[in-house]
Amino acid sequence: MGYRVAIAGRSNADSTPLPYDEMLTAEGVVRPHYSALDQRVAALGDQELADRQRTLERFFLLQGITFTVYGGESSTERIIPTDLLPRIIPAEEWAVVEAGLTQRLRALNMFLADIYGAQQILMDGVVPRELVLSAPSYRREMQNLFVPHKAYANVCGSDLIRQPDGAFAVLEDNLRVPSGVSYMLANREASKRTFPGTFRLAGVRAIDRYPDMLLSTLKGMAADWRPNPQVVVLTPGVYNSAYYEHAYLARLMGAPLVEGRDLVVHDNMVYMRTTTGLRRIDVIYRRVDDDFIDPLTFRRDSSLGVAGLFNAYRAGNVVICNAPGTGVADDKAVYAYVPEIIKYYLGEDAILPNIETYLCREPAQLSHVLANLDKLVVKAVGASGGYGMLIGPHASAKERSDFAEAIKADPANYIAQPTIQLSTAPCLIDGAIDARHVDLRPFILSGEKIVVTPGALTRVALKKGSLVVNSSQGGGSKDTWILGAEEPRP
Amino acid sequence: MMLARVADSLYWIGRYVERAEHMCRLSDVMLNATLDRTDAAAQVTRIVQASVGDPENDHVMTPYQMARSLALNREDAGSITTSLARARENARQVRDQITTETWERLNLIYLRVTGPGATKAFEDGSSNFLNEIIADLHMFKGAADATMSHGEGWGFLLLGMYLERAQLIARLLKVCFADDKQPPVTDHSALTSLLRMSCALEPYLRRYTADIQPKLILEFLMFDEDFPRSLRFTTSRIAEHLSGLSGYVDHSSHSGPERLAGRLKARLQYADVDNLQIADASPMVGTVLDECAAIHSAIYDTFVAYSLEMRLPA
Repeated sequence: MGYRVAIAGRSNADSTPLPYDEMLTAEGVVRPHYSALDQRVAALGDQELADRQRTLERFFLLQGITFTVYGGESSTERIIPTDLLPRIIPAEEWAVVEAGLTQRLRALNMFLADIYGAQQILMDGVVPRELVLSAPSYRREMQNLFVPHKAYANVCGSDLIRQPDGAFAVLEDNLRVPSGVSYMLANREASKRTFPGTFRLAGVRAIDRYPDMLLSTLKGMAADWRPNPQVVVLTPGVYNSAYYEHAYLARLMGAPLVEGRDLVVHDNMVYMRTTTGLRRIDVIYRRVDDDFIDPLTFRRDSSLGVAGLFNAYRAGNVVICNAPGTGVADDKAVYAYVPEIIKYYLGEDAILPNIETYLCREPAQLSHVLANLDKLVVKAVGASGGYGMLIGPHASAKERSDFAEAIKADPANYIAQPTIQLSTAPCLIDGAIDARHVDLRPFILSGEKIVVTPGALTRVALKKGSLVVNSSQGGGSKDTWILGAEEPRP
Repeated sequence: MMLARVADSLYWIGRYVERAEHMCRLSDVMLNATLDRTDAAAQVTRIVQASVGDPENDHVMTPYQMARSLALNREDAGSITTSLARARENARQVRDQITTETWERLNLIYLRVTGPGATKAFEDGSSNFLNEIIADLHMFKGAADATMSHGEGWGFLLLGMYLERAQLIARLLKVCFADDKQPPVTDHSALTSLLRMSCALEPYLRRYTADIQPKLILEFLMFDEDFPRSLRFTTSRIAEHLSGLSGYVDHSSHSGPERLAGRLKARLQYADVDNLQIADASPMVGTVLDECAAIHSAIYDTFVAYSLEMRLPA
């Protein structure tokens, strides 16, 4: 098998450890939970796999699972690149991930409730006051505002990576408007068609209840004061790159998909314009960023939101999910303090470790960062999606010195991390199986209680050797099989 | 209850889909009729050109160029590709409201007419190309009928479809029998082409035998009770769907479109068909076109673009 040769033939020129491979051990032996898939893939052969890959891409195209690429006069629609070979995670590894994510989100929700309430953690000096209150994602307007169940981040999509020793670590928490869950569900439908037999025998945990779990989480946010709350999904519109997902979730929840122009605020109540007149709304699952939800409170030039929405929220007549201002807890600088935050609120050690992070705002750490730019990854605190970052080892001397100037000009805006190693997984690339770097984005719901969906989006860096998995920069995705704890079916 | 914007989109999906199907038929019949160099060929070309909407077209095109542009030109707001792209764009905006089966049919047609192979497919066999679109649109309608709930959204979809159909057929009749500058069409093969454009040839023959006369065609396309493209049939469906939809609205505000449609339906239902003359075409078709336009604006005033002051809770 080519894959085995490729993995066994890896060498490390410097002293950095080799990446963990999801399928093969360092000795080139197939891990037990991958053996059935490995045999099936070998039996099918490259030709048949390529045919099935085409069938899968066709399925995505017909379903309209596409994003629009704008350029010049015409815009074209492309499918999100998707790989047919699933990534498999055994039950005992998932149990750790699940416990770790639950713990982390519990602590982060408590942190948000505290920051937007008494600010005890700032008074106790666990997290620097200035770092939190000066973060662009901190929303003064949220101060002392009632949030049901203190559940600020109702939908969370954390990015995990697997380190060379095989342990998962958290790279980033996404508490604002995380996306990708529709690809998780679509990938699952596709892999059931591609490997039905292997899938059935493996005992994969089902994820198809996600939409109704999401709906009951959202309804739970208003159920105490409105018996049968009207839930809607708020989208920026059909030109947004995640529009497919917004429509998909609305359809599967049976909730109307609304745009800002469909909504009206009157007497601090939110209504939607229907064919039969105005109808009151109780819960808004918004897929629009904080800045754009209400031109009266946030950005004035936004036409995506609804004038007066925030006041209606403040008056307690509507619930916005996720709450505005959750971004302060996934800020890249606050990230460095998450282990202390967990310890502070829960008295526990973090189950899932952080990646070591240097804060350029601290003079000692800044000089370390500037001295080691060739070994570090530097990120702008406010940016996301793989933009505004420097990957030291892959950058030219010029790029590094330019970036150093930018850091010196505004140190508080930058953090640095050691070059992380993402694990690799077998992917079908140009008709042959090859190793590509992957990360893991599970989805966690929090309302009355916290639920980790037993599945995830595995994002793939399709360029050989690349560590950038973002779909805006040439990343793809694949299905993720979380195996059940019980023995697989015979 | 549904979002006003969604109702609007569904209504326009219906309109665009119907328009695309009609334009396919016009192109196909024209290309077929102009294979022979006869007087009829010129008349058919004129009928299509006038129906498409630019009778004073400056740059003279051959029928083939015209059909090619009508099929594939995305710059042209009335082309088949543009209509299909708009129908699909509307469907994408209300993707949560239509079933996956319905969406897939429409998306498939769209991908084919906008794909890289479309121009070649048209050039290799225009008739095949156009008829495949028609067949696919029938599958779209069938999938919608078989899988969507026949509730409010369905009502708006069909309302758009029938209103568009009524206007397209009325326009065709106006061009053939009530044009100020042209005498009514009498040529036998041009009349046959007219029936083909209305997808009416076989039902007409069954009803009137091969006796093809302008007066009978006018009678059939205006007053036939059962033929799905006659003005009487379509206006009666419009009235039916509007009365269904008004069931969802408060009674104070729905009189507009429903009343207009009911009146138009009655006019066609109780018209004096026995004493019909070709000269009657002009006033009658004119009334239908005016009334359809009025129904369209009344639908907007009632369901979509109503003023908020009237609907705020007390």
